[in-house]
Amino acid sequence: MRFRYAMVCSSNQNRSMEAHALLKRQGLDVASYGTGSHVKLPGPSVREPNVYDFGTPYKQMFDELRRKDPELYKRNGILQMLKRNLSVKLAPQRWQDNAGDGVFDVVMTFEEKVFDSVLEDLNNREQPLMKTILVMNLEVKDNHEEAAIGGRLALELCQEIEGNEAWEDTIDDIVAGFEKQHRRKLVYSISFY
Amino acid sequence: MAAPAAATARAQALSLLAAANNHGDLAVKLSSLRQVKEILLSLEPSLSAEIFPYLAELHLSHEILVRKSLIEIIEEVGLRMLDHSYALVTVLLVLSRDEDPIVAKKAISVGTTFYCSILKEMAMQFHHRGKVDRWFGELWTWMVKFKDAVFSTALEPGCVGVKVLALKFMETFILLFTPDASDPEIFSNKGSRQMFNISWLAGGHPVLNSASLMSEANRTFGILLDFIKSAGRLPGALTIAVVSCLAVVARKRHVHYNTVLSVLLDFHPNLETVKGCHAASVQYSIRTALLGFLRCTSSPMIESRDKLLRAFRAMNAADVADQVLRQVDKLVRNNERAARENWSGKTNQAINHQNSWDLSKKRIMPQGEDDTINGEVVAKRLRHNTNMHLAPQVQTSDSPQGHVSINGISSANHPTDSELTPVEQMVSMIGALLAEGNRGAASLEILISKLHPDMLADIVITSMKHLPSSPPTLTTSLATPGDIVVSSSINSMCSPAPQPQLHFDPTLPAGSSFSDVPSFNNATADPRRDPRRDPRRMDPRRSNSSVGPTSLPVGEGKEPVPVQMDISTLPSKPLSVPVVTAGASGSVHPTIVERSQNKVVGSSVIWDQPDCREHLLTIPDECAYPSKGRPSLDVPVSPCRDDEGIRETKFLGSETKCDLDLVSIPDFDQHSPSASVPDFDLHPPATSNITAAEESYRELAAVPSYIELTTEQSKTVGKLAIERIIESNRHVCGFDCNNIRVALIARLIAKIDAGNDVANILREHISVDHREFKGHELVLHVLYHLHSMANLDTDESSSYATVYENFLIAVARSFLDALPASDKSFSRLFGEAPHLPDSALKLLDELCSTRHDPIGREICDSERVTQGLGAVWSLILVRPNERKACLAIALKCSVHSEEDIRAKAIRLVTNKLYHLTYISEHVEQFATDMLLTAVNSETDLAQTGFIAEGKTEAKSQITSTSDSPRSGTSDIHSQQDLQTARDVSVLSISEAQRLISLFFALCKKKPSLLRLVFEVYGRAPKTVIQAFHRHIPILIRELGSSYVELLQIISDPPKGSENLLTLVLQILTQELAPSLDLIATVKHLYETKLKDVSILIPLLSSLTKDEVLPIFPPLLNLPPDKFQLALAHILQGSAHTGPALTPAEVLIAIHDVVPEKDGPPLKKITDACSACFEQRTVFTQQVLAKALGQMVDRTPLPLLFMRTVIQAIDAFPTLVDFVMEILSKLVSKQIWRLPKLWPGFLKCVSQTQPHSFPVLLELPMPQLESIMKKFPDLRPSLTAYANQPTIRASLPNSVLSVLGLDNGQDSRSQMHPSEATSSIHGAALT
Repeated sequence: MRFRYAMVCSSNQNRSMEAHALLKRQGLDVASYGTGSHVKLPGPSVREPNVYDFGTPYKQMFDELRRKDPELYKRNGILQMLKRNLSVKLAPQRWQDNAGDGVFDVVMTFEEKVFDSVLEDLNNREQPLMKTILVMNLEVKDNHEEAAIGGRLALELCQEIEGNEAWEDTIDDIVAGFEKQHRRKLVYSISFY
Repeated sequence: MAAPAAATARAQALSLLAAANNHGDLAVKLSSLRQVKEILLSLEPSLSAEIFPYLAELHLSHEILVRKSLIEIIEEVGLRMLDHSYALVTVLLVLSRDEDPIVAKKAISVGTTFYCSILKEMAMQFHHRGKVDRWFGELWTWMVKFKDAVFSTALEPGCVGVKVLALKFMETFILLFTPDASDPEIFSNKGSRQMFNISWLAGGHPVLNSASLMSEANRTFGILLDFIKSAGRLPGALTIAVVSCLAVVARKRHVHYNTVLSVLLDFHPNLETVKGCHAASVQYSIRTALLGFLRCTSSPMIESRDKLLRAFRAMNAADVADQVLRQVDKLVRNNERAARENWSGKTNQAINHQNSWDLSKKRIMPQGEDDTINGEVVAKRLRHNTNMHLAPQVQTSDSPQGHVSINGISSANHPTDSELTPVEQMVSMIGALLAEGNRGAASLEILISKLHPDMLADIVITSMKHLPSSPPTLTTSLATPGDIVVSSSINSMCSPAPQPQLHFDPTLPAGSSFSDVPSFNNATADPRRDPRRDPRRMDPRRSNSSVGPTSLPVGEGKEPVPVQMDISTLPSKPLSVPVVTAGASGSVHPTIVERSQNKVVGSSVIWDQPDCREHLLTIPDECAYPSKGRPSLDVPVSPCRDDEGIRETKFLGSETKCDLDLVSIPDFDQHSPSASVPDFDLHPPATSNITAAEESYRELAAVPSYIELTTEQSKTVGKLAIERIIESNRHVCGFDCNNIRVALIARLIAKIDAGNDVANILREHISVDHREFKGHELVLHVLYHLHSMANLDTDESSSYATVYENFLIAVARSFLDALPASDKSFSRLFGEAPHLPDSALKLLDELCSTRHDPIGREICDSERVTQGLGAVWSLILVRPNERKACLAIALKCSVHSEEDIRAKAIRLVTNKLYHLTYISEHVEQFATDMLLTAVNSETDLAQTGFIAEGKTEAKSQITSTSDSPRSGTSDIHSQQDLQTARDVSVLSISEAQRLISLFFALCKKKPSLLRLVFEVYGRAPKTVIQAFHRHIPILIRELGSSYVELLQIISDPPKGSENLLTLVLQILTQELAPSLDLIATVKHLYETKLKDVSILIPLLSSLTKDEVLPIFPPLLNLPPDKFQLALAHILQGSAHTGPALTPAEVLIAIHDVVPEKDGPPLKKITDACSACFEQRTVFTQQVLAKALGQMVDRTPLPLLFMRTVIQAIDAFPTLVDFVMEILSKLVSKQIWRLPKLWPGFLKCVSQTQPHSFPVLLELPMPQLESIMKKFPDLRPSLTAYANQPTIRASLPNSVLSVLGLDNGQDSRSQMHPSEATSSIHGAALT
């Protein structure tokens, strides 16, 4: 267990949690975050999402939605997802508000906007530690099926990075190889702590 | 007691260290080290220090983890006792070059911490105590070594991870030693986290030399920039790290912002070819950096917003940028409001300043505007020149001010200094370096060579701000010490002299004066013929296209101004000369310059007198002075004979100098036309070098003095010369030294008029070396030269025009043939060429709209189309003159029969062009015309002709505004349109698609256009309608929630568009619940104009019960299929509200419709009922039961009630018991009194026997009797039933008598139960 990983998506519910759960199961040191301003879950219609603050426990959301419309939220998979999440950690965390969580080696994001937010946040922080951090973005659509695929890909990628003595030397090849193998776009950047 | 304890601790530590060194087990080693650390931290610093040397030995350990822990100990312990950390710091130095990357990285990061804290401590100590301890000095020398080691790590090959950290250290270094204008706070006021900054050393420091540190920081900055320039050879991770470091520097030190920005914007390496470099990520890192700039609210960033936005548009990331901008603007507004009061004065200044910057950059402008700028700049220039000698004094007196404010001690006295702009900051930095004397000069050179041209120009302008408004008296102006300073500063600003790559782009004016020489004989000084008016020189794009790092600043900053002065007729023009000559002489020999400079300044003052001819002649004299005695001048200027690169380079130096001298001369020619060639002849010593240059010209081009060449021969020689120049160019690589070659090639091409064959020679050179060897520059030089020749009023100008055209086309084709489609050279060439002839546009047209390349070969590569359209787009943006023609090409492609081309063109037109206000109208008109063409197609042939004419008119409206040269293209168009018009009478669906696609694409951008679609829908032919139906769903879905315009159309649909309207509504409601607005609009429409209830069908699912019930009757009246649909919508409801009506309610609602009153005939209602019964899964047994149960209680009973009951029992025989209950209720309601229902009742009863027997028996006697009469078949079975003992007992006598049971008929009745049961089965089966 050499590196510390962070999985980041918008609401810290679906994509990042899927990857978090998977990497955790594989014994990697992993945390997960969201970069949005709120946690948003689908509601009865597109215009009526369920909005929570970061830090609201998954359990609370689970109970609330189950009370509201168990049929609907079971059908769209939200309840199952929340159940999975509450077994992984307590509550969704916002990336920007958790700078105190310590130093990560690798951050995976699942959306360009999130990637930009993470990089911006890292660049706005003081960088006294002189420690490099690898930030990678893998575009994953925000639905359950894609999240499952995205999680597996993230795991594969992290394992590959873990297997390298110094990722800085090989990252270009790793990324290019990954893109070729999975026909998915991957972008990385380097920032500092 | 303390001493023995300490001794024990020491002994313990030593033994632990020995274990750490020698023990075989790694775990033991590490734990021993941990214990050592504890001991060291607990001991007195001086005692710990005794152990340090032993600790330091561990760096030789073979265990990586031991070395790593050692560094960690050093970090923890050493920082606490800096004064004793000498031994530890040396370890860091060694380990920073460790072979293991982890150790090396750790050492660098800890070393950096040491570096910063030592620096800070030293500055603090001096600040507080006025002196610095000696050990600091020693420690610092080690830190300097550490810095050198890390820097070399960054530059040498090695592990990327370590290099990345080394780069980060460089960034820190730059930040430390570049003054930070945004944070002038005094350090002692801040917390301990405050980072050191060079401004702390403003008052001087015994150990640290601020000037040399600053210049080293600048050098380091240069190193980082060099990294970017060589990105093609670096691993991607390294490039990304450099970009990120540069971005940090730019954001934190605004001095460097413009430089970084221009470097990042110009960063387009061909990374795909580099192995081990992930191009997308590198590009993205640039994007991230630019996005970071966009988020900054400091003035330089805000000023460059347009540039940034353009860059984002080019990256297709405009929306991201816009989003960020919105956030930032909000932030800025808030800040501004807060800071408005104390800022107002400052802001005005800044805005003025910014304006002048902008204006000076935008040099292509209407004449009127131009004049004002000239006036403004000239006025400033004037002041600057007359007071030049004062400027340094002001500067030097300025710099202490800057320091003072940075010190913060007396900052209250200089409130404005606390917010220095980057430029002011730079000025103060230059001032500080100048104050350093010789030592500073070297740094200043480096600094200035790295500056962005705009920045440099700004520095000059800004420094003028401090000049006094009235000119000083002449006597005081001479030979003040300040003069010397300024000349040296100018000298270094003008770039280091002895190097061959110096210049302020001298070739252009030089070349121009060459070409002007013959015309001097005419002694006519037509200002139009001044080749320096060459538009290229005023072209702002040039500053982007030129990447020559050091040379251009001067060219940009200085040259244009004198040019503008030529145009204006201010009396004191000659004053511009000192600047130019200062530059010129500065480039020749720095030491002499200072002297000559003084003279020049002196003479400049005297020139104010009316007769300047005398002094004109003194100038060349002075300038020539330093170069006298240089033998190279006598060498005949013929590059053809120059075979050796070295010699040529030497020669270049002298040539350049001659050019520079010439630069100044035409200025005077303009002013006093008589002072031309004859004058030079009268003063041979003064003009020796000029005549040399002239000779060289003759020899080069056409008029050989010794041998008479035929035209053919001269052409051949010329060609050979070109080949040679190009060949030599390959050997002498480097960015700058080929400018003279470029100029020569341009003239040679013009001279030998060789069009294609020379272009072929060049082509290879240009396209192969397009980037690195400035092929693009070369082509543009040639083109501009040819263009200026063509514009001259000579007989040959037309032939030059041909040469120009041939050359341009040949180069363009060569790009298309040789370079990949993704290459930008082609569009760049067209974008920057001085003029685009028709043939160029034709080439572009071919490229875009045909699948054959010019030679006729089939290209299956649609990339070329993209390339062509890309070029069209950029031309529309940057070339107003060609805009119409290019737009015509784009529009033509947007109705191209090839779907691929069409799609691309449509994307271009709608996404990029349509939002340009100056062409959106044309685009819209064109799209409308095409749509109408499609719609009007199905008319008879006579009309077709009419349409075709109309079309042509509309078309030529678009092109007519363009100039006459475009008529060719417009002809092509109208022909094509005629063709189209003839074809459309048999319009196929694909043809209809072709014509209407653009319009629908535009609708996405401007939904109000949709109205036209609605208007023409009614009269459109079938195929067109089909095409409409294909487009509408996509369009409506993309419009999504923004259908405000759509609502307007819906609220007032044109006649004939009902079907379309219904379709639109269907789509709108398909995926999302319709908005309240939409529902209201449609309902209103239904109530007022359009009585057709079918438009409400798509909305039914969102309507409430109360809304649905009133429209139920008209719904019933619809054709069956539509009613089915409506029914489905009603029952489906929205996910949110649930269905408007439950199935039972629907059934009841159907029954509630009274045929006479509401319109729908009875037939429709029965059909509706049947339709319900068909959906057995929806209208289930329970539903029916519920509906029937509710209806039976109604008074009056619905007309169709009995019918439905019968149908129900038919459909669900198991309902029989329930139905019997209903029937029984009906009996109690005296159903026989309702003539319309009674027959139904009877039918039902008869059908459901024997279950209905109990009900029958409930009937009063008369009714029973009539039934018996009516259905005689019933009697036997009913009698049998009634005859059962249990039942019979309960029956009244009257009933029994009706049934004839008053006497016994037992035998019969006993036979029947079995029959009865069988009939039940029979009923059940039906």
